Amino acid sequence: MTDHPETEVPMAAPDERPRWLDSKANVTKVAWALYIVCAIAVLFDFVIHRHGDTGFDETFGFYAAYGFVGSVLLVLVARHILRRIVMRPEDYYDD
Amino acid sequence: MIDFPPGLLLILGALPVPFLRGWLRGIWMLALPVAAFALLYSLPDGNHFQIAAFGQELELLRVDALSRVFGYVFIIAIFLGVIYSLHVRAVEEHVSGLIYAGAAIGAVFVGDLVSLFVYWELTAIASVFLILARRTPEALAASMRYLIIQVGSGVLLLAGLIVRWHETGSIEFGHIGIDGAGGVLILLAFGIKAAFPLLHNWLQDAYPQATPTGTVLLSAFTTKLAIYALARGYAGTEELIWIGVTMTAFPIFFAVIENDLRKVLAYSLNNQLGFMVVGVGIGTELALNGAAAHAFTHIIYKSLLFMSMGAVLHRVGTTLATELGGLYKTMPFTTVFCIIGGASISAFPLFSGFVSKSMILSAAAHEGYYFTWLVLLFASAGVFHHSGIKIPFFAFFAHDSGKRPKEAPLNMLIAMGLASILCIGIGVWPSALYAILPFEVDFVPYTDSHVLSQVQLLFFSALAFTVLMRTGLYPPELRCTNLDTDWLYRRVGRAVLRNITKTAGAIQARFYGAVNRRGQRFLVQLYRHHGPHGVLARTWPTGSMVLWVALLLFAYLFLYFIDIF
Amino acid sequence: MLAQHLPALQVVIPLLAAPLCALFRRGFIGWLIAVAANWLAFAASIGLLIRVLNEGVISYAMGGWAPPIGIEYRVDLINVFVLLVVSGVGAVIIPFARTGTAARFNDTDQAWFYTMYLLALTGLLGVTITGDAFNIFVFLEISSLASYVMIAMGRDRRALTAAYQYLIMGTVGATFIVIGIGLLWAMTGTLNLADLAQRIPEINDTRPVLAALAFLTVGISLKLALFPLHLWLPNAYAYAPAVTSAFLAGTATKVAIYLFLRFFYTVFGGGGFFSSTPLPEMFLVLSIVAMFAASTVALFQDDVKRMFAYSSVAQIGFITLGISFVTEAGLTAAMTHLFNHAIMKAGIFMLLGGVMFRLASVKLEDMAGIGRKMPFTMGGIVILGLGLIGTPGTSGFISKWWIVLAALEKDQWWLVALILVASLITMLYVGRIVEVAYFREPSAKAASVREAPLAMLIPAYVLVAATIYFGLDTNWSVGLAQQAAADLLAGLY
Repeated sequence: MTDHPETEVPMAAPDERPRWLDSKANVTKVAWALYIVCAIAVLFDFVIHRHGDTGFDETFGFYAAYGFVGSVLLVLVARHILRRIVMRPEDYYDD
Repeated sequence: MIDFPPGLLLILGALPVPFLRGWLRGIWMLALPVAAFALLYSLPDGNHFQIAAFGQELELLRVDALSRVFGYVFIIAIFLGVIYSLHVRAVEEHVSGLIYAGAAIGAVFVGDLVSLFVYWELTAIASVFLILARRTPEALAASMRYLIIQVGSGVLLLAGLIVRWHETGSIEFGHIGIDGAGGVLILLAFGIKAAFPLLHNWLQDAYPQATPTGTVLLSAFTTKLAIYALARGYAGTEELIWIGVTMTAFPIFFAVIENDLRKVLAYSLNNQLGFMVVGVGIGTELALNGAAAHAFTHIIYKSLLFMSMGAVLHRVGTTLATELGGLYKTMPFTTVFCIIGGASISAFPLFSGFVSKSMILSAAAHEGYYFTWLVLLFASAGVFHHSGIKIPFFAFFAHDSGKRPKEAPLNMLIAMGLASILCIGIGVWPSALYAILPFEVDFVPYTDSHVLSQVQLLFFSALAFTVLMRTGLYPPELRCTNLDTDWLYRRVGRAVLRNITKTAGAIQARFYGAVNRRGQRFLVQLYRHHGPHGVLARTWPTGSMVLWVALLLFAYLFLYFIDIF
Repeated sequence: MLAQHLPALQVVIPLLAAPLCALFRRGFIGWLIAVAANWLAFAASIGLLIRVLNEGVISYAMGGWAPPIGIEYRVDLINVFVLLVVSGVGAVIIPFARTGTAARFNDTDQAWFYTMYLLALTGLLGVTITGDAFNIFVFLEISSLASYVMIAMGRDRRALTAAYQYLIMGTVGATFIVIGIGLLWAMTGTLNLADLAQRIPEINDTRPVLAALAFLTVGISLKLALFPLHLWLPNAYAYAPAVTSAFLAGTATKVAIYLFLRFFYTVFGGGGFFSSTPLPEMFLVLSIVAMFAASTVALFQDDVKRMFAYSSVAQIGFITLGISFVTEAGLTAAMTHLFNHAIMKAGIFMLLGGVMFRLASVKLEDMAGIGRKMPFTMGGIVILGLGLIGTPGTSGFISKWWIVLAALEKDQWWLVALILVASLITMLYVGRIVEVAYFREPSAKAASVREAPLAMLIPAYVLVAATIYFGLDTNWSVGLAQQAAADLLAGLY
C-alpha cells in the first residue's frame, strides 16, 4: 500500500514554529467550544418545534441522544467485537 | 442537434489520445466531456439512435429524465477526473479512464439489455487498467480479482437477459422485477456492481489499490451505474430496502477500524450506496428522486474525498492513518477541500449531501418504514463519524507525523476546488438539482425542523468522537489487515483450490501411470508379436493415443450394439 | 461454361498448381503460383456458393461418367460453406506465408513448402466437395501427408516428433474411416454418398452398419481432435511453422467436422437416426470435458502457441457440443462457430508467427512487455482473444450466443452455466497474455524487437477485421449456417 512518492517526503524542521493547534490547551478550547455548541443545539428544542414523521422523533433531545449513543455504540462494537473477529497482521495475505 | 450517443463520443474521442502530446492532449481530453455535455443538453427526450445487430434492434440513445440526471453527473465526474489527472503522463490511464467513463455514460442511455451488457462489460474491462496502472504486485493481484468479479457480473447479466428474452420475448431495458428467473439473475448482476452485502468486497479490495487518479474515476461510475440500473429495473422492489439497510449499516463498523484511509472511503462509499438502494426499494416518486439526487451529489463529494486522499497519496506515498497526521500545515487547501467533502457526505446543512439524503430519509418515514428510518439515521451519524471526522482528522490533524509534503499540484487543486464549489452550490441552491430529477419535486429540505434535527444529530456524533478520543476509548489506529468476505476467496478458496489441484494431480498421475503401464505392456506385447510396428510402442504418447483410439472404438461398438439387443 | 465446371476447378486448380511449384524450384515463383491458385480456388468457392444459392444442389459428374459409376462431386449449402472457410482462410494465409518462409528456407525448400501447402489445400477441398466415399479417403490421405511435411518443416526439432505423431494418428484415423467405408460398401454395393444415403437408412440397425458407424465415429473423432483423441494436436500446432499452424487450425479440423456431419446426418439419414444412437450423449459429455480440460491445460501453458493449440481443442468442444444437441439451433451454433473459430484461430496463429519472426520465441516469459514493442501484433492478438472469449462486438459472441440459445431451447440450464464458466477460463488465459505483454517490464529478448513486417500484419488484420465484422453483421455467417443446419436435420443432400 506504500508507493514511493515522486520525491522523498520533506520532514519538519527542528526549529519549526509551533502552530496554534499544537498546544494542548488550545485543543481543549476547541473541545469546549464543541460542548457549548452541542448544549445550544439541544436547547433549541425549546424554541423550535420539530415535526417528525414517525411521532417518536419529536421527543425532546431525540436526535442528540440518538446521535451520541449511536456513535458511541458504533465505535465500541467496532473496537471490541469486530476487531477481535477480523483483525489480522498486516501481511496476512502475503505468502 | 446531432443524434449521437455522448458515451460513444467519449469512447471514440479516447482513441486519438495516445497520439497527442503535452497541452494539446490536455485540451482535447477536456474538450471531450464539454462536447458530451453540450450534446446531451441539446438532445430532447426520446429514442434517437438505433442499430441492428445480432438480429436485434438495439436502442443506443434513450433520453429520459432518469437517464439524463445520471448522464449529466457522469459527464461532470469525468470532466473533474480529467482535470485531476492532467499531470499524469501514463497514456493508458487517460485512455482507459475516458473509455471507462464513456462506457458508463453509454450504458445509462441504452434502451435494451443487450447493449447494456456490452457497455457493462466494457466498464469492467476499461476500468481494470486504472488499477493495473499502479504497477505494484498487490495492485496486479487485486485487479485480477476485481476483473473476475466484474466480468462475472457481466456473465450473470448475459445469462439473465437471455433467460428473460426466452421468458418474455423482449430485450427491452425497462422495469424488470424479480418475478422470473431472468429478473433474479439480472438483479444479481446489478447487485454485484452495486456492492450488495456479501457481494461487496471487490470494492474495498480493489479501489484502494488503484492509482491516485484511478480511484477517483472508479468511485464515480461502476457503482452508480448499478444504482441507475436498479432504479430503472427494480424500482419498488421491497427486498431492496432490506438489502439497502444492511448496506448502510455494516460497512461503517469496518470503516471505524480500518487503517488505510482510502479503504475507509471505500467502506463509506458502500454505505452511501445503501441509502440509494433503499430509495430504489421504496420506489415512491420522492424516494426515487432521492436516490437519483443522492447519486448525483454523492458522485461529486465522493470524488472530492478520493481526490483529497489521492493528493495525499501522490505527495506522501501512503494513505495509512498510522503514517499520516499534521498535514494541514503544508497542505492547507487540500485540508479545506477534504473537510468540504466530509461535510457534504455527512449531510451538513448547506452542503450537497443534506439536500439529497434527507429526501430518502423522509420517504422512508412517510411510507412507515420506521425501522429502516432508524437504521438510516444511525448510519448517517456513523458516516459523519468516519468520513466526516476520521478522514480529515487522521490525515491532516491528529498526531503530527512530522511529514511536511508539498501542497497538491495545481491541477489537482483546481479539480478539488471545482468539486467543492459544486458541493456547496448544490447545498445552498438545491433547486437546480431538483429541476432535473426524474419526477416533480415538492420537497423542501430547509425547514427549521429538518435543519435542527440534522445539526443535533451531527454535533452529538462529533461530541461522541471527542469524548471517546479524549478518554482514550477510541480504537487506536493499527497497522493490520481486516478480514472481509474476500477472506473466502483469498484464503479459503485458494486453500481449497490448492488441495483440489494437488489431489487431482496426484490421482491423475496415478491413473495415467497405471493406464500407461498397462497400456504400454499391452501394446508392447501386441506389437512385439506384430513385428514392424514395434516402433509404435516406444514413444509412449503415440502409444497412449492409440490405446485411447482402441478404447473408444470398443466403447462405441459396445454402445451401438447394445442398442439393437 | 466455366461455371459449369466450377466443382472440378475447385480441386483441380490447386492440384495442378502443386507440381508447378515444385517444377520451378524458386521460392518467389512458387509463392506467386500458390497465391494465384488459392485465390482462384476461393473465387471458385464463391462461384459455387452463388450457384448453390440460385439453383440448389449441384451434381457434377467427374470426367463425364455419370454417378453412381463415376465419381460425383456434389455441392450443397453445407459443403459450400466449408469450402468457403477452407479456401477463404487459405487465401488470407498464403500472402502472409512469403515473409516467414523466405527468411528461413532456401529456394528449393520454399517451393517444396508451397507444393505441400497446395496439396494439403487440394486434399481438404477434395474431401469437402466429393460425393464419393472412397474419394474422401484418398483426399484425406493427400491432405494428411502434405500436412505432415508442412509440420515437420518447423524450426523446432520437436516438430519432427510432432509430425510423426500427426502422421501416425492421421493414418489410424484414415484407416478407421476406410474400414467404415468398406463395411458400408459391402452392405450396399455403392460408394456414392447420395446412394448410400438412400440405402443405409433401411439397414441401419444391422450389425455391420453399426460397426461401420463405430469405426467412422472414432476415425473422424480423431481427425477433428475430439477429446480424448486430441493428443496429437497441441504438439503439431505448437512446433509447426506459423503458416502451417494457422492453416491447419483454420481448416483441417473444420473439414473433419464437416465429414462428421455429412456421414451422420446425411448418410445415416437425418437427425432422427443420430438421436436414436447414444452418440449425442457421448458427444455431449466429451465436448464438455474438452471445453474444461483443454481450457484448463491451456491456462497453465508457458508456450503461447501451445496454449492456443489447447484452446483449439476446447473450442472444438464448443462446436461438437452444438452438434450433440441435434437441433436446428445447435447445428447453427456449431456451423457458426466452425466459421468464426476458423477465422479467429488462423488470425491468432498468424500474429504469433509475427511474434516468432521478430522474437524467435513464443514463450510467455520472453513475450513480457512486448505490447509496447509490437503494438499492432499484440493488439490483434488481444482482439482475437476477446473473440475467443466471446466478447460482444466480435464474432465469438455470436457463436456463444447461439450455443447458449440452443442449450436454453433444450432447457439445459446447467449447460448454460458450464458454457459461461468455460468462457471465463478462456478469459483467464487470454488475460494472462495481456498481463505479461502489457504490464511486465520487457524481457531481455523483447527489449530490442520491432513491430512485425507489414506483409505479415496486413493479412492477419484481414482476419481481425473479419472477426469484428462478423460480430456485427451475421447475415452471412449465421444466415448460411442456419439454412445448412435445416438441410442437415432434414437429411437433404
